[in-house]
Amino acid sequence: MELLLKNVSAGYGSGKVLDSIDLSIKDGERVFIGGRNGSGKTTLLRVMAGLINCEGSVTINGNDLSKMKRRNVAKLIALMPQAGEMYFQYTVYQTVLLGRYARTDGLFGGFTNRDREYAEECMENCGVYELKDRLLGELSGGQLQRVLLARTYAQETPFLFLDEPGSSLDIKYRAELCDYLGKWAEGKTATPYGDVRNTIVAVFHDLGQARSICSRTVLLKNMTILADGPSSEVITPEMLEEAFDFDVAGYIERQVIVR
Amino acid sequence: MKEQGIPDNRNNSRKAAGIGIALSLAACLFILLLAIRAGSVYISVSDLLKIIGSHITGKPLPADVDPMTDSIFWTIRMPRAITAFLVGGALSLSGAVMQAVLQNPLASSYTLGVSSGASLGAGIVLLCGFTLSGLEGFMLPLAGFVFGLITVVLSILLASRIDRSVSNQTIVLIGMVLSLFVTGIMNFMMTFYGDRSKQLWLWMTGSFSARNWTHAAILFVTGIAGFVIFFMLSGRLDILTFGELQASSMGVDVKKTRITAILVASFLTGVSVAFAGVIGFIDLAAPHIVRRIFGPSHRIVIPMSFIYGGAFMALCDLAARTVLSPREIPVGAVTALVGAPFFAYVFFAKGRRKV
Repeated sequence: MELLLKNVSAGYGSGKVLDSIDLSIKDGERVFIGGRNGSGKTTLLRVMAGLINCEGSVTINGNDLSKMKRRNVAKLIALMPQAGEMYFQYTVYQTVLLGRYARTDGLFGGFTNRDREYAEECMENCGVYELKDRLLGELSGGQLQRVLLARTYAQETPFLFLDEPGSSLDIKYRAELCDYLGKWAEGKTATPYGDVRNTIVAVFHDLGQARSICSRTVLLKNMTILADGPSSEVITPEMLEEAFDFDVAGYIERQVIVR
Repeated sequence: MKEQGIPDNRNNSRKAAGIGIALSLAACLFILLLAIRAGSVYISVSDLLKIIGSHITGKPLPADVDPMTDSIFWTIRMPRAITAFLVGGALSLSGAVMQAVLQNPLASSYTLGVSSGASLGAGIVLLCGFTLSGLEGFMLPLAGFVFGLITVVLSILLASRIDRSVSNQTIVLIGMVLSLFVTGIMNFMMTFYGDRSKQLWLWMTGSFSARNWTHAAILFVTGIAGFVIFFMLSGRLDILTFGELQASSMGVDVKKTRITAILVASFLTGVSVAFAGVIGFIDLAAPHIVRRIFGPSHRIVIPMSFIYGGAFMALCDLAARTVLSPREIPVGAVTALVGAPFFAYVFFAKGRRKV
């Protein structure tokens, strides 16, 4: 299965954020998307998930995302958003269960026992099972992030798009996140098109986390792709300096963490 | 990471919700009974049941019931109380849905200009004496309904013209702008027809006096239809409260769901405004209180909003016609006078559930 972007441009209002991007992501890949603030990482994820309008074409398996039913897209691609404010106080359990929505059917669309079990499993994998009766407003930033991650897993899709999944997590949970994502990426997910190898596309600010999970790196700069290739070749001192406009490697070297 | 022996309390919380629902239904029936019985003419419960029984079965009234009592309760009080209940239920339902769709627990269908549009329609009829033959008695509700709906459709059309994805801010802003504009036209008109503005004022503050079974029947049918549609949308409404992007990524067709929900909610509000005038506050307060008690899941919020809104309205109408009897207070004034402090208390009181 291939997700293909051809000549894609996108923006908000009159401001352009992405300019004629070409990108192909095949199932089984683990792609890190990097770049400075405002370089278009989040917009790229949203475009790839078919969530915002864009010029050019975004297709999955040859099907135009903008012409597919949202419910069918949601069975292939799940996007974990950056946590925003929650206005309605659902419990953790209700929130994660809503991730199963695309798989419900019937006029009244109730959840089945399998949906409940799957949601519970996702909560356990993200370490939020103990919080299941808490309200979203009572959670810390890191807890909320893990709940959103669990809800994203609950969609049971082969393509997992993550927008800074570790930004509010403590160091232990970050390590667990990396372990779990690595393990998950080995597997396959059943879809209407047969079993598809699990695929990760993620925005990280922690380069170590990015390196440990993703074998491919795409760096964005000035609305376009600056570099795209195996992480070991793209994540070099020169390339990082080019992408971030400062001496990243030197900065990392100067950091004293544990000695 | 699952610890051993964590009790699955899903059954417990279901049981609690079940008890809550049963208590609410009982309270609602009690209030309805109170709204029918209270007043200057007394009736015993058994006589009331005899009257209802004779009308439902078509059998003649038992000899021990005064025909005068029958006419007071069957043709005046019961349709009035039931109309009030159905209007309250419909307003509260549409409020609950608007809040989910606009992702704002403090929004209401009045946000989109339903009430100002409806007021303008009623104003045109009252002030200019405009009428259609055969529909003389229904001109006021008809115009109110049509103008309310036109205002909403206009806001949606304008919003989708300006912003292809029809985002919340656009809808709310356009609704506000249109409301102000329409109110401006209304005030402009009133300067020319000052002599009839009292009648218009009466309508704009709401009343249930002299409502009959036809009103109740129409409201019943539209209320049930709206309820079923919203109940079917409840999963999508839950997801929509997380915002457009998240809802879309979870598989909801945001634009379609939002427009359907807004149109049905406006329809319900339009019909209510048409039959009872403009009554604020219930559509805001009732769903809010329901979420406090039962949580935000729309599978419970939708039915309970109907019950709570209906009961609250029946109670307010009861107050409207009895407190200063024989004088009647506009029911819109009662909902605001009773509701505002109560709502403020609920809103500011420290509770576990914030919304």
